Order: sequence, then C-alpha cells, then structure tokens
Amino acid sequence: MNRPDHANDAKPPLDRHALIQAHFLAAIVESSDDAIITKDLDGVITSWNKGAEKIFGYSASEVIGKAVAILIPPERENEEPNILSRLRRGECIDHYETVRRHKDGSLLDISLTVSPVRDADGIVIGASKVARDITQRKRVQAELLMARDQLARSNQELEHRVAERTASLQQAVTQMEEFSYSVSHDLRSPIRAMKGFALAALEDHGAQLNQEVRDYLDRIIRSGSRMERLIHDVLTYSRLARNEINLVPVAIDKLVPDIVQQYPAMQPPRAQIFVRHPLQPVIGHEPSLTQAISNLLANAVKFVRPGVTPAVNVWTEAQSAHVRLWIQDNGIGIKPEYQSRLFGMFERIHQDPGYDGTGIGLAIVRKSVERMGGCVGVNSDGEHGSSFWVELPASGKAQ
Amino acid sequence: MKSSPLDILLIEDDENDVFFMRRAMTKASLAPPIHVAVNGQDALDYLRGAGKYADRATYRLPRCIFLDLKLPFVHGFEVLSWIRDQPALKSMPVLVLTSSPEEKDRQRALQLGAAAYLVKPATAQMLTEALQTLNENLSALSEREADYH
Repeated sequence: MNRPDHANDAKPPLDRHALIQAHFLAAIVESSDDAIITKDLDGVITSWNKGAEKIFGYSASEVIGKAVAILIPPERENEEPNILSRLRRGECIDHYETVRRHKDGSLLDISLTVSPVRDADGIVIGASKVARDITQRKRVQAELLMARDQLARSNQELEHRVAERTASLQQAVTQMEEFSYSVSHDLRSPIRAMKGFALAALEDHGAQLNQEVRDYLDRIIRSGSRMERLIHDVLTYSRLARNEINLVPVAIDKLVPDIVQQYPAMQPPRAQIFVRHPLQPVIGHEPSLTQAISNLLANAVKFVRPGVTPAVNVWTEAQSAHVRLWIQDNGIGIKPEYQSRLFGMFERIHQDPGYDGTGIGLAIVRKSVERMGGCVGVNSDGEHGSSFWVELPASGKAQ
Repeated sequence: MKSSPLDILLIEDDENDVFFMRRAMTKASLAPPIHVAVNGQDALDYLRGAGKYADRATYRLPRCIFLDLKLPFVHGFEVLSWIRDQPALKSMPVLVLTSSPEEKDRQRALQLGAAAYLVKPATAQMLTEALQTLNENLSALSEREADYH
C-alpha cells in the first residue's frame, strides 16, 4: 500500500474548505434514515447517528462506549467475533441480512454493510456500520411468499375442481349418449310396430274394412311417421349440441349444389334453386353446415302457397371478416311478430296441415350455426316470401 | 333365388320385428327357413351348436345371419366380433338389421365385417335387394374359388 507523503508529519490544521466538507459529511450522516455507526476493533461503539437512534431506540449517549453486542440477540452472538476478524483482515461485509435487537427487546430485520475504517497509515482501526431496517421489506417478502403459497394452493384446488367437473361433465356426456342411443332404439321400436301393424292391416285386409276404419289406420300411420321424424330431429339436435366439432374452411359454392342434388323436392320441375356463383367460402364444420343449409332450403321449397312453384335465390355477401349466406324464397313469409320465436325448439308458426313439420328444423339450424361461431336470422314482411341468412367467419381458402 | 335353399338365422329380441321380417320375406316371395335367436347369448349357443342347438339336423348352420344390434345380454356388435373370430364362420354373411340410422353404428358394423347395414322396418324390397346382392357376391366368390382349383 502506498503511504501518503505526510504520513509521519504532525496533523495539519484543517483548512476552511476541509471544515466545510467535514460538516457537510456529518450532516449527511446525521440526516440519513439508515443507522450509521462506527466502532473500534474491540466492538465498542464510537459514534451513533440519528438513524441509529430511530432504528434501535437507544440515544447516542446511551450506547457510545458500550459494546455493539447489546444490539445482537443471544442466538446470534457468534456473528460479531466473525465480523470483527473479517474487518481486521480489511474485508468488507456487504448487505449482510441479519437480525438485531431493539432497545425494547423486539427483533429487527436489518441489512448490514460493515466497512473497515483505516487511520492515516492505512491501518484498520475500526469499522463503520450502515444498518438498514428491512423489517418492512421482510414482512412484505413473507407476505408475498404466503400469497404465492396461497395462490399455488388455490391453483391446485382449482385444477382439482376443474378435473372433477370435467369428469362429471364427461360422465354426463356419456349418459346423454346412452340416453340418445336408448331413445334411438327403444322409442322407435314400438312406433315402428304400431305403424307396421296398421300398414299390414291396410295391405292385407284393407278390402274388407270400411272407409272409416281405413281412415283410422291411415291416421295411426301418419302419427307414427310424425313421431319418427320428431325422434329423428330431437336426436339430431342433441347430437349437434354435444358433439365436438372441428372448424375448417368449407367451400359452400360446391356444398349448396351437392345438397340440392340430393333432394328431388329442390329440383325442377318441383322447384327452382338459383345459386349466384361463386358462393364465398366460410370457416365451419361441413356436416353441421350441410344440416343447416339443407333445413333452410327444405323450408324454402316447402312453405309456398298452393300452386306456386318454389323459386329460391342463394347468394353470399362479404361482411368484413364474415360471410353472410342468403336464402331468399317466394313462399308464404313469416309475420314479423312471429320471427323472434321462429328459431326456438318445437315452434311451429303455420298450423295448416299442408305445412307439416316437427318445429325443430330451425332450432337445429340455429344450434348448428351457433356451434360454428356464427348467427342466423330472417327478413320477411309476412307477405312476400322470406330471406333467411347464415353468417359465419370468412375463409380465404376452402377445402 | 326362390329355388335356392337358404337357411336364415334371425337374431332378434322383438317379436314384432320377427313378425315383420317373416311378413316381408313372404311379400318378397321368399320362403327360407328362419331360425330365431332371441338374444345375443342364444345366438352364440345356436352358432356353437351348444345345448338344445346340438342337433344340427334341426338347427342347421344358416347361409346368412340377420343381426339386430341392441340385444339383451350380448350386444349385436359383440356377436358380430365373435362370429368374425370363429374360423368356421369367418365367411358367414352377416346383415345387420337395426333401428339405428346412426352413421357411427353403420361404420362400426361395416368395419366388423357386416355384409350389409339395413335400417328397420324390414321391407320386401329391402330384403330382395340385399339377398340378391349377397347371392351375386357369393356366386362371384365361388366362381373365383373354382378358378383356383
């Protein structure tokens, strides 16, 4: 170590500038919120600022000349010899987190920085200690840890509950599937028998029956057929509501003609369906979309006045990120006051037996479109046909 | 087809459906001997020749099987799988005749090797067409087998 040139000289008197500097430094020490303490190498306190008074509760006069050990709780009394021996070796102790004792006996969490103080010859003669009260920080840290534990426990609990709910939902879905399967088989069977025997009676013995009996048998057959359609539609609806669907681009420009091709009632001479190509592709689930469009087209060609040939226009309209598919018919229309009920379950607007239906068809349309993230609607004045629309997310490409 | 002897095993628990099957056969001018197994276990016993079915002169092995799916004790799909696992019955035509129009059931039946999937009620036209197709397939198969010999 280089020694200053004046190391062996008598102490020069402090000049004015040095005095100002010393006062200035003393003021900084006094005004600090941290405890700034000096001690000699025997651990005896030699100075004590206001911050130290505030943190430890002792006034300077109470502690100067006393061993710093008064601040150390018994279980940590080994720390001081260790600190002193490190100081003698000229080492610093930087931000050492420990516990000290307040005058009233309470324990304080503090962060301690201890630096050796050297004389003019560079020899360690004592130490300055800066102690910061970190009780508050420690408390916040402890609270944070507790909160983190609590959060972890809540997460675990939540995951457990989600797993439980998923299992119970899965069970409900399985039960629903079993129920549907049962409906599909067990309800159909007696209806098939009623219809079958009525038909057999008509076919095998119709000639011997009077007109009234034949009419009764006809009614049994028609009611049976209606019940079969109801079961079919309820099952379709429940399947749509519970099955998982995968949304992909769908080319409805091809889908609509394919649907029309399947139903003679949608083809000339019974009906005319005009498709304004190209129909823009959408994002959807093809089987659900096929179901929805088939139902809408079937309604469009069914609900017409007697003697009128159904004429249906189909086109798409781009609406920013969506595509709206329109199906406009020349049918009997739907009065505005009935339109809000139209897509509900078992809702039939037309009682005329010529317009037979289960009242589930449009509920199926709405359910299938909603499952695909779209919406449906209708425009009609109740006189001049209806325009049904289905809106779905647009797709740049279609499979 | 009328002249060809065609024993049929009908695996069906609903007596009404047995009636409609017999009636449809008659309407189609088909009069094959129809043996009825009233549940899945009964069907397995019949095909194994077990218990009361040991007498093969009375309970002949059928030329084809009509199988309902929803059966007591042993489900139709299990019966179908069992038949496919029996070397002696491997080529036995099984026509599923069910009340379920579910595509899932159709796919599963065909995967398990059903020769046809028919949705009730059985009608004369349905049976005529199904048995005709079956006969054509069986004839084509025996001709192919004859070519190898």
